[in-house]
Amino acid sequence: MADQGVATSTAPPTLGEATRREQRRVAPRPVGGGWRQRLEIAFFVTPALALMAVFVVWPVVSAVRMSFDRWKGFGPMDDFIGIDNYHYVLTDEVFRGAVTHNFIIVFASILIQLPLGLAVALLLDRKIRGRGLLRTIVFVPYVLAEVIAGVVWYQLLQPESGVIDALIKAVGLTPPEQGFLGTPNLALATVFVVLTWKYLGLAILLFLAGLQGVPTDLYEAAQLDGASWWQVQRRIAIPLLGPTIRTWCFLSMIGSLQLFDMVWILTGGGPANATTTMATYLINQGTGRHNYGIAGAASVILFAIGFVMALVYQVFVLRRDTAVER
Amino acid sequence: MRSKTRSAALAVLCASVLTFAACGSDDSSEESGGDTTITWWHNSNNQPGMGYYEQVAQDYEADHPGVKIEISAMAHEDMVDKLDAAFQSGDIPDIYMERGGGELADHVDAGMVRDISDDASEEIDKVGGSVAGWQIDGKTYALPLSLGVVGVWYNTELFEQAGITEPPTTMDEWYDDIAKLKDAGITPISVGAGDKWPAAHYWYYTALRSCPEDVLKEAVTSLDFSDPCFEKAGEVVQDILGADPFNKGFLTTKAQEGATSASGLLATGKVAMEMQGHWEPGVMQGLTDDGKGLGDKTGWFPFPAVEDGQGDPTDALGGGDAWAVSEEAPDEAVDFVKYLLSDEVQQGFAENDMGLPTNPAANGSVKDPALAGVLKARDDAPYVQLYFDTAFGASVGGAMNDEIALLFAGDASPQDVVDATQQAADAEQ
Amino acid sequence: MIRRARPFGSGGLLVYLLALTAVIITLGPVVYGALGGFRSNEQLARDPSGLPDPWVFSNYTAVLTNEAFWRYALNSSIIAVITTVVAVMFGVMAAYPLARYQFSGREPLFMVFVLGLLFPAAVAIIPLFILVTRDLHLANSWWGVALPQAAFALPITVVILRPFLMAIPKELEEAALIDGASRIGIFWRLVLPLSVPALVTVGVLAFVASWNAYLLPLLLLQDDMRTLPLGVADYSSEHSSDTAGVLAFTTLAMIPALILFLAMQKRIVSGLQGAVKG
Repeated sequence: MADQGVATSTAPPTLGEATRREQRRVAPRPVGGGWRQRLEIAFFVTPALALMAVFVVWPVVSAVRMSFDRWKGFGPMDDFIGIDNYHYVLTDEVFRGAVTHNFIIVFASILIQLPLGLAVALLLDRKIRGRGLLRTIVFVPYVLAEVIAGVVWYQLLQPESGVIDALIKAVGLTPPEQGFLGTPNLALATVFVVLTWKYLGLAILLFLAGLQGVPTDLYEAAQLDGASWWQVQRRIAIPLLGPTIRTWCFLSMIGSLQLFDMVWILTGGGPANATTTMATYLINQGTGRHNYGIAGAASVILFAIGFVMALVYQVFVLRRDTAVER
Repeated sequence: MRSKTRSAALAVLCASVLTFAACGSDDSSEESGGDTTITWWHNSNNQPGMGYYEQVAQDYEADHPGVKIEISAMAHEDMVDKLDAAFQSGDIPDIYMERGGGELADHVDAGMVRDISDDASEEIDKVGGSVAGWQIDGKTYALPLSLGVVGVWYNTELFEQAGITEPPTTMDEWYDDIAKLKDAGITPISVGAGDKWPAAHYWYYTALRSCPEDVLKEAVTSLDFSDPCFEKAGEVVQDILGADPFNKGFLTTKAQEGATSASGLLATGKVAMEMQGHWEPGVMQGLTDDGKGLGDKTGWFPFPAVEDGQGDPTDALGGGDAWAVSEEAPDEAVDFVKYLLSDEVQQGFAENDMGLPTNPAANGSVKDPALAGVLKARDDAPYVQLYFDTAFGASVGGAMNDEIALLFAGDASPQDVVDATQQAADAEQ
Repeated sequence: MIRRARPFGSGGLLVYLLALTAVIITLGPVVYGALGGFRSNEQLARDPSGLPDPWVFSNYTAVLTNEAFWRYALNSSIIAVITTVVAVMFGVMAAYPLARYQFSGREPLFMVFVLGLLFPAAVAIIPLFILVTRDLHLANSWWGVALPQAAFALPITVVILRPFLMAIPKELEEAALIDGASRIGIFWRLVLPLSVPALVTVGVLAFVASWNAYLLPLLLLQDDMRTLPLGVADYSSEHSSDTAGVLAFTTLAMIPALILFLAMQKRIVSGLQGAVKG
C-alpha cells in the first residue's frame, strides 16, 4: 500500500523539532488582517485536508462503526453488538500472537537493524573507492516493490530447489527440513531477515545524511588529541547522530506495527500462525472470513497501539532532543 | 473451478470486498412489448464453451418465439465480483451461478433466489443426490450443472516403481503404500497446506468417513459439532501426519501456483500422489512446459476407508456450480434452466469438456478416462458432501480451515479443531 | 554541500571486504532474478543457482513485445504521476502556512498530519473500497487509485516539507511583503522555486510508493487497467510453469523505479538531509 512505503521511507515527524525551528527562524507575522490570514490559511490547507478527510478519515470512521456491528459484508449494517468484537479480538490467541510478532519485529529492528545500519553508514562515511556506487547499491532493495522482492525471495527460499538451501548444503550444513519459511520456529526470523535486506538501505541513507551534518573540524580536533577512529565515532559521530537515530526508530516502529505486504507474500501469516501480524489478521478476518466487524475492531486496536506508542515515544524520547537544544 | 492461487486468493479477497459495493449500473432486464428478455451470466468465456452456450441460447430462442436471451460470458473471478456487486444493489441477472452452502443461504435469506422445487421437480429427480448442496429446508434453489468430487490423483509410473500394484482402499493399505514409496526414495504425497483448504480437505474426508451421513447433514443446518466422530476425524488426520508422507515444506506449499506448488510437484513427477478435485488434470496441464500434465500416467482413486468409521466408504466430498434463477426473473428463465439441464445440452456440455455433467444421461459423453473414473465414483456415492467451508459459509469455514492448518503444523489437537469450529458457529447464531 | 574527506579517511582491506559482502547480499537476489531471465526453464530446473548457459534472450523479448506489459506500464505511470502531482501540490500548499504563519491551532493542525502517518491503509481499506466504487464511481479508473494514494502520501509529504519551508530565510519573504506582494504571490514566485529540491524528494518518494503499490490497485483495478505489480503477480500465476519468463517480467518491471531513483539520487539524499538535520 502506498502509505506503507512512504511512511517507512522518510524523515522526521518530530513535533519538538518543528517547534524549535519555528522559534529560531520564522518571522513574526505583522499584526492585523486576522480574517485575511485565516482566509489565506484556509486556501492553502483546505485541499489537503479535504483529500484526507474523504480518503483517510471517512474510511477510518467507517471502520470504527463497523467494529461495533456484526456485519458479513452483505446487506445493511444494523446488527449492533457493542464491544463483542473487541472482546473476541482481545481474547483471540491468534491476535495476541500477532501483536507479539509485531513487537518482536519492532524490537528486533532496533536491536539489529540499527547497529547494522550504523556500522555500514560509518563504513561508507570514509574515503574509499566507489563510495557513491556503494551508497546507491545499498539503497536498491528499498526502491523495489515489496511484491517483486517478495516473489524473488520466495523463490530463493524454496526448500530443495531454492538457491539458499543449495548454498547451505554447499558449505556442508543441513538446511531445515521444512524450509526456512515452512518451519514455525524459523519463519518469523526469516521474514525479519528479508525485511532487513529490504529496509536497511533507508537506515543507511538517513544515517549518512546525518553524518554529513557533523562538522569536519570536530573530527580533526579529536584526531589531533590522539583519539582513535573508534573513539571518534563513539564520542562524536554517534552522539551527534542522536536525532537522526531517534527519528529512524520512530519510523521503523510505525512501519513494523503496520507490517503486511512482505508477510502476506512470503508466508501469508503461516506456518501455524507463526508470522501473523495485526494487519494480516484483520485482512484474514475481514476479506477471508467476512467477519468485517471483527476486522474493524482489530484495525481500531492496531491504530490505538500505534497511537499510544507514538505518543509515548514523542514524550519520552523525542522531547529530549528539544530539551537538549534549549 | 475451485482454483485458488495466492493471487487468486487475493482476487477472492477483492471479490468478497465487492460484496457490499453496489456498483451503480442500472441495466435491469426489461420486458418490452410481448417479448421477454432473459439475462444469463456464465463463466465459460473460452472456446468451445462460449460458442456452445451461444448455440444453446439460439436453439432455445428458435423454439420459443418472443424470448430473447442476453448472455454475459465472463472470466470466473470477474463473474464472482460482479455477482457480489449485483446482490448488493439488488439488480441480479435472471440466471446466474451459485456455489451453494452458506453463500446461497445468505442470498435466500435476503429473498433474492427463486424456489424452483416445484417448477423443476422433474430435473431435480433426474439429478438426484447432487442437488443436496443447493437445498435449504427441503426447498431447491438451484440446479447443479457440474459437480466434481475430491480424490487422490497419483502417478502410475511411480506407483509401479515402488512395487504398488493396486491403489489402496483402506487407511492401512495406504500407509503401506506410503512406506513402499518412501523406501523407493519417492516423496509420497504433496499437499498445499500454505493455502489451507487443501489441508482442510483431509479433515473433511476423514470426517466424512468417520461420521454417519445424518450427523453430517444435521451439522450443516444446526452447526452442532459435539458428536465424537468430529474429534475422531482429527485423530485420523494426525495418524496420516504420523506416517510423514508429505513433501518438504508442505506447511507453506501453495496449492496450484508454480512448479513448486502441490499440483506442480505431482505434475513434474516429484511426488507420487496429491488429493485434489476433478480440476486437477487441467491444472497440471498448465504447470508443465509441454502442456500435458501427467498425461497417460494419471491415475485416480477415492479417499480410502477409515477403520471403525461410521461413514459409508463410498461417500464423496465435492462441489460444483448450479444455475439459479433470481426471484424477480420471468417464468421463462426457469424454463430455460430446465432446458440447460436437459439430456441434449448436458451431453454437449460433457463432449466439450466443460465439466462433469450432473444429468446421468450425459455420463457416456465424458471422454477422458481419468475423469470418467471420477464421474463413476461420484455417481456411485450414496451421498456427496459439499466442501465443509462452502457449506458452512466463510466465517465458520475459515475458522475451521485455519485450525486444521494448525493441526497439520502440530499446533492444535483434534479437539481444538472441533472447538474452534463450534466457537465460530456459535458466533453466527 | 561540498564534502571534504574525513580524517581516518581511506579504508583498509577489511573495509573493502565488508563493503563487498554488503554488495553481494544486497544485489544477490536482484541479480539472480535478472540472470534467471536469461536462462531457460530447463536450465533453471537442472541447477537453480547456475549461470545462463547458453544465454537465452527470448524471455525478455517476449515480455517486451507483450502488449499487456506496456499497457500495465502505462497505467502504472499515469497513476504514479497523478498521485505525485496531487500529493506534492496539496502537500506543499498545506505545509506553507504550517511553516510560515503564526496562528493559534497551528500545532494541532500539524498534529493532524502527523497522526495521518499512523493509519495503515490496511485499516481503512474495506471502507475505502466501498467509497471509491459505490459513492464515487471511480472503480477501475486511474483517479480511483491515485486520489486515495495521494491522500495517504500527504502526511509524510507535509511532515518533510515543513522544516524545509521553515528554513527559507525570513528576510526574502519580508522583502517581498514590503514590495507589496501578496502571500499567495510569495508562495508561487518565491517559496515554490526555492523548495524545488525538497519537492523533488517528496515527489520521488510518492512516485516510487505509487509505482510499487499493490493492495489498493489489486482491489480496484481489473483487466486492462491493471498496474505492473498486479501484472507481475498475475503473470506469475498465469504462467506459473514458466519461471524464467516470470523472472524476466519481474526484472523488467523493476527497472523504471530503479532508473528514477538513480537519476534523482542526489536530490533525494540532499532532500532527506535537509529534513534530518536539525
